[in-house]
Amino acid sequence: MSNGYDAPIEVERVSKWYGSVVAVNDTTFQVRPGVTGLLGPNGAGKTTLLGMMCGLIAPSLGSVRVLGQAVRDNPALYRRVGVMREHDALYPFMTGREFVRMAARLQGLNDVEEAAERAISAANLLPAQDRPTGTYSRGMRQRIRMAAAVVHDPDVLLLDEPLNGTDPRQRVEFADYIGRLAAQGKTVLISSHILEEVEALADRILLVVSGKLAAAGNYHAIREQLDQRPFHVRIVASRLREMASALVGLDAVDSVSLDDKGIEVLTRDVAHLQREAPRLARDIGVRLYRIEPLDDSLESVFSYVVQQ
Amino acid sequence: MVGVALLPFLIVLPIMLTGNNEDGGFIGLFGAVVIRLTLPLIVLVLATSAFGNELEDRTLSLLTTRPVPRIAIVSAKLAATVVVAAPVAVVPAVVMVWLDPAATGGTIAIAAAGAAVCVLTYSSIFTWAGLITQRALAFAVVYVFIWEGLVTSFLEGLRYVSVRGYTFAILRGLDEEGFASLGEEVIELRAGLVGAAVATALFFAASVYRLRRMDVP
Repeated sequence: MSNGYDAPIEVERVSKWYGSVVAVNDTTFQVRPGVTGLLGPNGAGKTTLLGMMCGLIAPSLGSVRVLGQAVRDNPALYRRVGVMREHDALYPFMTGREFVRMAARLQGLNDVEEAAERAISAANLLPAQDRPTGTYSRGMRQRIRMAAAVVHDPDVLLLDEPLNGTDPRQRVEFADYIGRLAAQGKTVLISSHILEEVEALADRILLVVSGKLAAAGNYHAIREQLDQRPFHVRIVASRLREMASALVGLDAVDSVSLDDKGIEVLTRDVAHLQREAPRLARDIGVRLYRIEPLDDSLESVFSYVVQQ
Repeated sequence: MVGVALLPFLIVLPIMLTGNNEDGGFIGLFGAVVIRLTLPLIVLVLATSAFGNELEDRTLSLLTTRPVPRIAIVSAKLAATVVVAAPVAVVPAVVMVWLDPAATGGTIAIAAAGAAVCVLTYSSIFTWAGLITQRALAFAVVYVFIWEGLVTSFLEGLRYVSVRGYTFAILRGLDEEGFASLGEEVIELRAGLVGAAVATALFFAASVYRLRRMDVP
């Protein structure tokens, strides 16, 4: 890049530990313009990483540079960086408008009113702007915090779990808004522990597991890798042995085992199994009670990626 | 906090109502009640929460992720503490001295100035305490009532590291006759003035340094 830096966010061999607990372990990556998802299960170190990128947490080792500058103890950098942290931190006695205006004043903007109006409008909160934020729903609080984060039109936007508490319609609006920012050449980093959430927003992801960067790259390539992994599924039916014998014949089934809770099936095509199992049960006269995934948690997905 | 501020008046009210105030003694009470008790109590509650509350509810990052120099944040917090605490702490001090028949205009003005210096110095120390520990209130209580209340009574040299010691030194140094009834051995005026100024500046600088270096939750 001609700006004197390779990427707007550069994380170089960063580690962070609290006493004997290692939160982030020797992690290196770059974040380029566009939308990047920082993905990982709860406790993976996402918030610590984001806190270091925000300059709020000092790395124990390594360096973090944003827009080519050290981010730590560099308040002037926040003129070009917007931050929305995970914690639902607001001043409940302030109205939404007052909160965003305060952010605009702290940014030293010339036209505080115009900037606040624009940011609140983008967050679709104009009708509620004069209510105290203490009366807002969780989704509204997220949106007013988002408005405060973008009030100064930052080049880099760091968002920690921004979609917590929002409804599906708000998520679509949020995705549109983030997409517009990316189209303007902004760098947006969104942390989340929900795979589908990131899918709708980011074209590139950083996968963090146990404080380490497990994978980085195009979302769809990583998702494809995830989809190819074997899943454990439990099937509960009236006559287990007969149902298990029938399931063995399905192409989608790798293995079948019986225990006192039901049939445990290993499959690489859950969708196919979900379609075929009821038909199979009906054909052999077995009553099907339940089909449930055993390891569809994000942790198990991440564990699989790490093993690869 | 208002109740604490009114405490001096609750003490002097019976004396006033019974008409036993002709002998004075209110300046002694000013030292015993306001400087030793109510003023530090008011300041410690306000100053320890200047940053303490924002660390607790995690709103401090709303300030520290803006292009605001850390020195400006600490200055604003200290100023807010002093602006709120000073009227609540200094007005009872002034009224109490004014009630004393022996008090002159100069004595009243010095009482106000001494109380104001006391508020500023305590504010700087306790604002710093709010940044370094979640138990700032306990720290402040220990400092005021154990360190200044007990330890410095036994070891005279420690009055050089006591805000109360600085305050009494300023009061007595500027009006020895007027504040003779404070009933405490004091350090020199110059030591009181320099001590208060150094403590205020030192803990202010320590707060700025801490805010620059700390991990903000």
